[in-house]
Amino acid sequence: MRFAEVLVFVCSLLAAAAATAATDGKVLFEQKCTACHTIGGGKRVGPDLQGVTERQPRDWLLQFIVAPDKLLAAKDPAALKLFEEFNRIPMPNLGLSEADAQALIEFIATAGAAARPAAPQPAAQPALPQPDLGSLQSKALAVFLAITAVIVLVFIWVGASTRAPADVNTAKAYGLRRVLFITAAVLLTALLAATLPQAPYAAGDAKADRVVYVATRQFDFVFSEEPITSAEDLGRVRRMERPEFARGELVEFRVTSLDVNHGFGLYNPQRQLIAQTQAMPGYVNRLRVRITEPGDYKVLCLEYCAAGHHLMHSGLTAK
Amino acid sequence: MRAVHKNTLYWMAVTFILFPVLILVGLFMRAVQADQLGGAQAWFYPMMTLHGVGMVGVWFVAAMACASDILERYCDPSAAVGRFALAGTVLGVLLLLACVFLGRFAAGWYFLYPLPLKGEWPAWSAVTFLLSITVLGATWLVWCLDLLRAIAKKYSLSRALAWHYLAGRGEPELPPSVLIITVSLIAAVAALLAGVIVLVLFYVELLSGATSDTLLMKNLTFFFGHTLVNLAMYLGVAALYEALPEYAGRPWKTNRIVAISWNAVLLIVLFAYFHHLYMDFVQPGAFQYIGQVASYFSAIPAAVVTIFGALLLVYHARMRWNIASLLFFIGLAGWAIGGVGAVIDSTISVNVALHNTLWVPAHFHTYMVAGLAFLVIGYFYHRCQEVARVPENAGAQAFTTALLVIGAYGFFAMFYLAGAYAVPRRFALYPLELNHGAGYSLAALVFASLFLAGFLLYLVSIWTRWFKAMGARA
Ligand code: HEC
Ligand code: HEM
Ligand SMILES: [Cu+2]
Ligand SMILES: [Cu+2]
Repeated sequence: MRFAEVLVFVCSLLAAAAATAATDGKVLFEQKCTACHTIGGGKRVGPDLQGVTERQPRDWLLQFIVAPDKLLAAKDPAALKLFEEFNRIPMPNLGLSEADAQALIEFIATAGAAARPAAPQPAAQPALPQPDLGSLQSKALAVFLAITAVIVLVFIWVGASTRAPADVNTAKAYGLRRVLFITAAVLLTALLAATLPQAPYAAGDAKADRVVYVATRQFDFVFSEEPITSAEDLGRVRRMERPEFARGELVEFRVTSLDVNHGFGLYNPQRQLIAQTQAMPGYVNRLRVRITEPGDYKVLCLEYCAAGHHLMHSGLTAK
Repeated sequence: MRAVHKNTLYWMAVTFILFPVLILVGLFMRAVQADQLGGAQAWFYPMMTLHGVGMVGVWFVAAMACASDILERYCDPSAAVGRFALAGTVLGVLLLLACVFLGRFAAGWYFLYPLPLKGEWPAWSAVTFLLSITVLGATWLVWCLDLLRAIAKKYSLSRALAWHYLAGRGEPELPPSVLIITVSLIAAVAALLAGVIVLVLFYVELLSGATSDTLLMKNLTFFFGHTLVNLAMYLGVAALYEALPEYAGRPWKTNRIVAISWNAVLLIVLFAYFHHLYMDFVQPGAFQYIGQVASYFSAIPAAVVTIFGALLLVYHARMRWNIASLLFFIGLAGWAIGGVGAVIDSTISVNVALHNTLWVPAHFHTYMVAGLAFLVIGYFYHRCQEVARVPENAGAQAFTTALLVIGAYGFFAMFYLAGAYAVPRRFALYPLELNHGAGYSLAALVFASLFLAGFLLYLVSIWTRWFKAMGARA
């Protein structure tokens, strides 16, 4: 009896240990790797890791995950080949121990086996048609072109006038200047009065229907319904893979960064930029957006954040 | 005729060598974005950094060279400090080339904290970059201070700021170019000091690990970057005030209105930088609104006083048109057009849709290339030709100018359109959803090549004049 009890106890201990190893691998992966890798979700900044445990020898994987920079410096052929293939964006040394790496490899192997067979990479995606101009953007462009046309015409007129040299009446010109000054001052003041109240900061008073926390890092966006203030939170909080919203909801994005400055730029289903804010380390920017149309929204990083900047994107869905 | 100082001629040579090289770097970026150079895309961000720092640096020193040449006419800037500025700039450029080509440093031209310390490049390259900026910044600070010293010695600072005109006195007479240079140099000193603080905070972090506040660093960085670029433009305008009257055959003098407007500029220019932080919602709201007010009102002195004044100077004048006066006149228009793009973008509620899209490089390339660069190369030509007096070929000069203008505006148009269509700036490659960005890049590549061809023709025409000026120097 006693022996059996001991056996059960030892077994449960082992099971628990195995379970923590597994969760550790998962937590570590979410904290340190999802910024650049998926398992079965396609390549991001780095390769899709599904099946990597079969692709590469275990000891190479171990060495690579612990110190990719050393392998690269030692001109390891496999590391070099990957490096070139991934546009010379090096995989960073993340300061992991061998035990960490072992746990990660276990996790990648099991998660890779569990994941659906990797979807075949779509061959040469068809180019999308040119999107329509956003309404704000088209106003800005129209105003710009109109004023530019006036400037060009005035310059051409003045330039052409030099073909007929003559004295100019400076008193009259100064009178015109006074008129121009008053017109410009009135116009600009009116424009200020009209546009300043539209600043996005004023929107902070209404109560948002939904609050979504966004943590950015090189090179991904992490969405959650719980605050994320440090890399440690990443393994703890529940991530939303692709947040979903109901049409008409007023959403507040609370955007921060865990490393460098990033940008959170929201593109509507017509691929028009409708809202943005910066993601800054140590600060939380609250961006309010009313989701008015159903469809797939795209999120792009709009502040340069190193080599993977243009690959840093995410998305949301409105129903 | 007033000979051209050797230092000025050297600055011209520096500009003539570096500008085409940096244009090639620009062409490279557009080619990568057009998906024509897949294999080289890893070089995009290092080249973006080189191009940005390089161009801002080249046009700052080129504009300073104009300022110092103008000042030599009225007061006595030190030739030794001029040589020191040349040597320091060359050293800074060498360090920059080393960190970009050997270390692939790629934090962008304004190296926003903490990116330089957190990129894929080695730590030594970040240190080399910071050293490069330190050398350039310290050298230019000394240069600015020496020019201010020379001005103050001749005029006293309050007179150089035309405060006696404000008080209603027109004596002693102050050339408007000196007023503008004084305003610009004071702003330059403020900008460079902010740059020094940024650098010190970086070094503190490198040495002790103590991190800095990201919002504070962003404010300091943009105060430095925005102000520096902005006043380089003003130095170009000073060259315009100095040289355009000689072509129009009419004087352009300081008066009370000119004095008021440039003193207002000095105040306004220090607050406009807030428009770079509109999308940082944690920035105190008052600063955001001040940013828009300052950006809007900076347009009034520019448009109503300087541009109106220049147009009045040319209107029905017995104008002597050559490549210099053409570039002055068209450069003025470029300043105005780029300014319109800037004022639109400085509207907070519009900035939401344009911030960090290609609209931003669109407007600043307009006033840096078709504004500042035109004014400066016009002034360089003006000075060399003044001494060399080589007969001019009007047809060839008009053709060169046309190439420059068509190339430049075609290239800008692609930035503006792509910006309006929400294509982000600083993307090595465009995502599928925005791959219309690649088409604009290809067209821009063609136009920018025309611009480069135009600039090479300009070099052909200034070549002999520069050598003659070198031979005739004092
Ligand atoms: C900043 C982005 C980034 C992060 C974070 C990152 N990687 Fe990588 N990883 C890469 C890139 C890029 C490559 C391709 C090799 C190269 O370019 O150096 C790569 C390659 C790999 C490979 C080799 C893949 C193959 O197909 O052979 C493995 C394994 C790997 N990473 C595991 C990890 C693990 C585990 C983590 C988390 C601890 C991680 N990576 C975190 C960018 C990253
Ligand atoms: C015809 C010549 C030029 C060409 C072809 C060119 C091209 C480019 C291109 C393609 C970019 C990158 C745009 C992006 O995707 O963000 C860029 C950025 C830039 N350019 Fe130019 N440019 C030219 C002239 C100039 C001049 C005269 C200046 C002077 C100040 C300048 C300053 C800059 C700066 C500061 C950046 C931003 C770099 C950064 O984002 O870090 N350029 N240019
Ligand atoms: Cu980013
Ligand atoms: Cu980014």
